[in-house]
Amino acid sequence: MRGCMRRIGALVKLSLLELWRRNDMFALLVLSLVLLVPLSMARPFGASGATRYFDEAALLLMWGYSLFISLGIGGRLFTSEFANRTVYPLLAKPVSRGELLVGKYLGAVVASWSALAFFYVLWAISSVLRGGECLTFCFFQAVVLHALFVALAVAAALAGSFLLTPSASTTLLAILFPAMFFFGRRLPDYAENVSGVLRGLVNVVYWLAPHAEFFDMRQRLVHGWGGVEAGVFLAVVGYAIFYSGALLLGARLLFNRKRL
Amino acid sequence: MEDKVFELDGVSRTFGALKAVDNLTLSLGKGEVTGFLGTNGAGKTTTIKMLIGLLRPTAGTVRLFGGDPADAATRVRIGYMPEMAYYYPYLNVRELLAFYGGVCGMDKQTVRTRTDKLLEEVELVEAAKRPLKTYSKGMLQRAGIAQALLNDPDLLILDEPFTGLDPLARIHFRKLLMKLRDQGKSIFFSSHELGETELLCDNVAIMKNGRCIYHGPVDRLAGDGGGNLERLFLDVLEKGGVA
Repeated sequence: MRGCMRRIGALVKLSLLELWRRNDMFALLVLSLVLLVPLSMARPFGASGATRYFDEAALLLMWGYSLFISLGIGGRLFTSEFANRTVYPLLAKPVSRGELLVGKYLGAVVASWSALAFFYVLWAISSVLRGGECLTFCFFQAVVLHALFVALAVAAALAGSFLLTPSASTTLLAILFPAMFFFGRRLPDYAENVSGVLRGLVNVVYWLAPHAEFFDMRQRLVHGWGGVEAGVFLAVVGYAIFYSGALLLGARLLFNRKRL
Repeated sequence: MEDKVFELDGVSRTFGALKAVDNLTLSLGKGEVTGFLGTNGAGKTTTIKMLIGLLRPTAGTVRLFGGDPADAATRVRIGYMPEMAYYYPYLNVRELLAFYGGVCGMDKQTVRTRTDKLLEEVELVEAAKRPLKTYSKGMLQRAGIAQALLNDPDLLILDEPFTGLDPLARIHFRKLLMKLRDQGKSIFFSSHELGETELLCDNVAIMKNGRCIYHGPVDRLAGDGGGNLERLFLDVLEKGGVA
């Protein structure tokens, strides 16, 4: 058990080192500073409604960045190992494919979370500077659900990278997640208005596609509506864990079948 | 007491219609050095991948230290260097070895001690703080051998270890392998460098179209025609075996 933890720990550390030594991540963080700070600090004509609008836009940008980072890191986890042939010496070591998958996944999740934490710290600071409250229960729930969404997105990108080419997988997920984020909750209404094969297809998408909108607490955070009920919150946590687990299991099966 | 470090018994591996390895029986004794020769596409890399558990044979059995190489615990005693790997470019060689040490389940102090020793052996002490992306091909090969030796393995499996090395690096690498041989390590390496093979090996195995057409001592092969390994290698390939 101790050896297993040590192996997984080494893989997590590798993913973190990779994230922080890649220049594109620094570019993204600088970009986020440039865009997020003015947006969240803006106070046009002292109107609180407009401030909220900017706040919401800043949070939406954070969602976009976190999705971009998660898909980028998750999709690259194994494709770079195969392209650079580092997977061969790695799997010749006393590490199982399952440990490798879990270790790399956890590393990618921790790396994505560290970027997410940076975004939320920025947002919280700007909120406090404007005299707002930030460390509320709702804020805590929003951060946890956003972090779980990131873990789910990394798992989807990881599984997708075994199924499709990296660019195809990332493109598909970069369309699917925002589509579900904005339109996921409207799919049942849409299914009601169509018939035949299309209706079946919409229902399949509704039940199988990852519901990114479940994790979205932006409105509650910006308008001060308070957190969600504990039961709902736990149900979404369970959904994220179950969905990520299923994706990782799929990735494990695909990795086992992959010809090395 | 085990006297064979690995045994391949009637091993075959197919990829669709292609038979990459065909009914291969081969073994390596403790402390033996065997060169694995053959033309491109003869099945050498596929055999090595089956040996380290990356590929499952379609038929036959592979035993590594008496166990199944697909079982991670069996691989504790091996060191493997692939043909050409571009190790994590953003790491330096110390970080690379620390990473592989962690993956092997080694404690930090042991990894540090082994790293210091190995960096001296492969002459990478001065370049130890440079990121691997700035390394030449030869330096990457040396980093590769260092990672293969990190866990002080009983069996070293090297896939084309001389590829990309300049003459000086080649001599240095050969001396390193000779030193390991003298320490009693078992070494199995594929190569196209017949001169190096002749200097290093007790035995050679020659593959052609997935089949082993010769497995035996180097001196016997060289003694048959009284020529060098290169000429005899060509003879064996043309005749399909040694009389």
